[in-house]
Amino acid sequence: MSTLEPLHLSRRDFVSDQTIRWCPGCGDYAIISQVQKVLPDLGIPKENIVFISGIGCSSRFPYYMDTYGIHSIHGRAPTLATGLKIANPELSVWVITGDGDALSIGGNHIIHTCRRNVDLNIILFNNRIYGLTKGQYSPTSPQGIRTKSSPMGSLERPLNPISLALASEATFIARTVDIITKHMGDTFLKAARHKGISFVEVFQNCVIFNNGAWQPYSDRQLRSDNDIFLENGKPMIFGQNDDKGILWGKSGLEVVELGDQYSEDDLVVHDTSSVTQAWMLSRLTYPMPIGIILDVQCPSYEQAAWAQVQEAKMQKGEGTLAKLFHAADTWQIQPHDGDRPASQMTVHSRLPSNLDEAYMDDLLNDLNESELEERLGDMDIAALKPHAPILVADSARVDHAVQLMQKHNIGCLLVTSADGHLSGILTENDVTNRILGHDVDTHASTVAEYMTVDPVALGLDTPVIESLHLISTYGFRHLPVVDEHGLPLGILSVRDIIHFLATVL
Amino acid sequence: MTAPKIKIQELDSVVIRFAGDSGDGMQLTGTQFTNTAAIVGNDISTLPDYPAEIRAPAGTLAGVSGFQVQLSEHDIWTPGDAPHVLIAMNPAALKVSLPDLDVAATIIVNTDAFSKSNLKKAGYASNPLKDGSLDKYTVYKMPITSLNRTAVKEVESLSSKGVDRSQNFFALGLVYWLYDRPLENTLAWIKTKFAKRPEVAEANILALQAGYFYGDTTRAFQTRYRIRAASLPPGTYRKVSGNEAIALGLVTAAQKADKLLFYGAYPITPASDILHTLAPLRNYNVITFQAEDEIAAMGATVGAAFGGVMAVTGTSGPGLALKSEALNLAVMLELPLVIVNVQRGGPSTGLPTKVEQSDLLQAMFGRNGESPIPILAPATPADGFEIAIEAYRLAVRAMSPVMILSDGYLGNSAEPWRIPDPDSIPPIIIEHPTAANSDDGSFLPYKRDPITLGRPWALPGTPGLEHRMGGLEKSPEKGNVSYAPEDHQRMTDDRAAKVARLADVIPEQTVFGPKQGELLVIGWGSTYGAIHAAVARAQTKGQSVAQAHLRYINPFPRNLGFLLQRYRHILVAEMNMGQLSLLLRGRYLRDLATLHKVKGRPFKISEISHKIDEILAGAAS
Repeated sequence: MSTLEPLHLSRRDFVSDQTIRWCPGCGDYAIISQVQKVLPDLGIPKENIVFISGIGCSSRFPYYMDTYGIHSIHGRAPTLATGLKIANPELSVWVITGDGDALSIGGNHIIHTCRRNVDLNIILFNNRIYGLTKGQYSPTSPQGIRTKSSPMGSLERPLNPISLALASEATFIARTVDIITKHMGDTFLKAARHKGISFVEVFQNCVIFNNGAWQPYSDRQLRSDNDIFLENGKPMIFGQNDDKGILWGKSGLEVVELGDQYSEDDLVVHDTSSVTQAWMLSRLTYPMPIGIILDVQCPSYEQAAWAQVQEAKMQKGEGTLAKLFHAADTWQIQPHDGDRPASQMTVHSRLPSNLDEAYMDDLLNDLNESELEERLGDMDIAALKPHAPILVADSARVDHAVQLMQKHNIGCLLVTSADGHLSGILTENDVTNRILGHDVDTHASTVAEYMTVDPVALGLDTPVIESLHLISTYGFRHLPVVDEHGLPLGILSVRDIIHFLATVL
Repeated sequence: MTAPKIKIQELDSVVIRFAGDSGDGMQLTGTQFTNTAAIVGNDISTLPDYPAEIRAPAGTLAGVSGFQVQLSEHDIWTPGDAPHVLIAMNPAALKVSLPDLDVAATIIVNTDAFSKSNLKKAGYASNPLKDGSLDKYTVYKMPITSLNRTAVKEVESLSSKGVDRSQNFFALGLVYWLYDRPLENTLAWIKTKFAKRPEVAEANILALQAGYFYGDTTRAFQTRYRIRAASLPPGTYRKVSGNEAIALGLVTAAQKADKLLFYGAYPITPASDILHTLAPLRNYNVITFQAEDEIAAMGATVGAAFGGVMAVTGTSGPGLALKSEALNLAVMLELPLVIVNVQRGGPSTGLPTKVEQSDLLQAMFGRNGESPIPILAPATPADGFEIAIEAYRLAVRAMSPVMILSDGYLGNSAEPWRIPDPDSIPPIIIEHPTAANSDDGSFLPYKRDPITLGRPWALPGTPGLEHRMGGLEKSPEKGNVSYAPEDHQRMTDDRAAKVARLADVIPEQTVFGPKQGELLVIGWGSTYGAIHAAVARAQTKGQSVAQAHLRYINPFPRNLGFLLQRYRHILVAEMNMGQLSLLLRGRYLRDLATLHKVKGRPFKISEISHKIDEILAGAAS
């Protein structure tokens, strides 16, 4: 519904006939007032504006706006907003949510809505408490908070909404404060103008159940020392007398006093396009970053979805029902002609769906199969005819084991437990690395102390391919072969396998 | 030595099952056989049976992929109770299929696959081909793998795996010979489908022909079979599965309503194929949205409906449980949308790949509060097409979510579908208001149409009709939040009445068989075929039995109560523990006999026949 004429809308045009029922003094009043104030500045006809909320005090918001709106269900507002925005990308869609609604019951939806970059404006009213249900701790409540549901203090660590939005790949992330109304209004405007997801956390005061939760950051006296108001391209300065700043220290952002040691030039310049910087800011609590933390561009979901529709039409032409119905193998049955109706088949180039995946994958992939895999095919270890192993008991003395190696001129012994099962492997490497030169009393030590315990073993039916995989991945030089009961049958060395490959390839 | 003369025996129908490893391409083989049968004019009904696990190890029982088809010279309604012919490509396929076979079945086995290791993987202690355990069947032992290797050896640039991959076509050729089917269609099919892989096409063609000529020259079979053509109505046909038919119906409804189709879903067996069918149809004005969970899929569908597109979601029982919250919001907002439930065995995760009809009461009552919604159920795979269109027509009339109850059996099995003329399908006319609807110039979002009781569907973007709605109870007409006693009663009554009034426009219930008599068998959904066949059998025996199959479950057709009085006995057969019967008893205070089954498999015709006989015998004594 775009129009070239000026819209001449005012704040009053957005006020509905419903009486607001928030508690006197609630931070929500300031928020709705700012939203109503800045909406005319967007130049969007009000019939194109939709507010969708979940459940909670703040979620009554749409009733008070003279726009389209849905007061939906707990935590699900982003899902409705996503469907709506896809259905009609012309609309300006706003999600009104709270800390419980967005971060607890609706946590999953917030993550995925941000990640998809749907062009929505999410306003998170964060008051660190459940208000509508009369005062239980919320996912942003500080640990230890005493509430009706946590009389001895809550055990849970709070969630950081800005960090969550960043981790969820949101493209516009900002924080503002309910009583700093000018800042809040400006932030809403910028959020609305951002194409893609906009995530705005508002420090909002619940006057009844959590009064003063944000006082250090909202109080007129305290906030200039506790907040840093971020401006893109400006050095990070704060403090009542602009006497403090933030610089990159050894372990991240550090607060410094400006003066002899540091000047403005040493400070970090705020860059809303830097995700790394945004992450550091999101972890900062002194000073508390207020303002636009991240603002980057990428195509929005609904735009991309509609672009696919257009692209498909360009490539395949506009779909008609006749075309759709015939997009399969078809056959004609002619009017009855004696015993057998004449019929004729039309083969469509599309393969039918519902074929065996294993068969189809095989069909489509086998050109990529390596020559080696092809040749080895179904061959298993039995084909390599492993040597009989030289065994040694795990209780045997080490010097005895070394003598065995020498006697048979081999580099590897299979070690058996008392019941004859393979319990370990002792190799030349073990002898050179762990025994020789380590002041080991080879007469007093047993094989069990120096062997590799429970080595990877093959069965006769293990594919040869798998042995190659083990050798290349783990660097094994010797692979024991056991029967189904774990009794040693043989041993394969890397050399045996190479000889075998030479004969096959 | 003179070759024995080969008989040709005429059959009126036959049930064939192809079974092998999932890497053997049995679905492709079965599909080809079915296509050819369809072209020569048989009626067909198919049932694919995929391995339960995604990639079960080759040769194991879990990895068996089967495809069953019934072909017939007359109308058929099911893929058949018991296969007359089994083509088993390995021991596991034989073992899995044996319990289902007809007592006098013919089995063709690939003896090359009966190696020690394969027998072991299938859990055979001894070789069933040698130990006499198959003596009651006619078994043809054929070294299919080695015969096929010889047949395609001249194809160059084919890997050894590639060679063996064509052995399903050898088996298909053999069966074509046995059933006197022409090769031409499959030859043409291979050439088209594998045009980009000439070596694969060549191997498959050689394999197919070799299989056919092997049957012809070796005289291994003494009998060939022929099934005469069925007299299907003339027209252009294709096969559709239930999931495909619903997808096609949804796209058709959207075009007939002149709307974009939004399908929001979360992957779930056995409903995902609807998503897969719709996803490539972007050029038909279809947008599919894969949500982060079932809840979001439903929420987005509600949001899309508010935005004015045709909004649809699909799921199966466990997903519906998650969707019930946002579905209930749609009931309260009174927005038109369609929710497809392709049912599977439950409760909880249940039996994801097996069929059951046990979500009926969930569909009826599985939401908090008084929350009626219309419910429709397709009777056959192809019926999903009409049901989908009908569902949306009712949704926009009543301004309500409408549920389609399909199931895993309907979803996956296929039947021939005579392609309709798109112009013959009437449009779905929707009028979105553009002006105020009250004397004082304000817009009343809940001012109901006096006949349908539907509310106006005003779309965001329409100047002057700005309104707010929510999940809270509201006042009539204005729709402002209201907990006033009379308002809640009135809105509850209206929401129920607008659904009930759909009975004025849905067709009366039809009956197959006598208009009154001894027994009426009632079913719904995918049991149609089995019940129909059993009732037809009873009628040919001279029994006074009729069938009423419900496609509309909420509201019931307006003449249903009357029908129930016209028969001495009523039998309700359903794949649950008695859900429709509970609704019918409650609604009509009529005593009913019931037949229940929750074994993850469709009814067999014989199970229903048996129950019919039992009831009629009891009535006679």
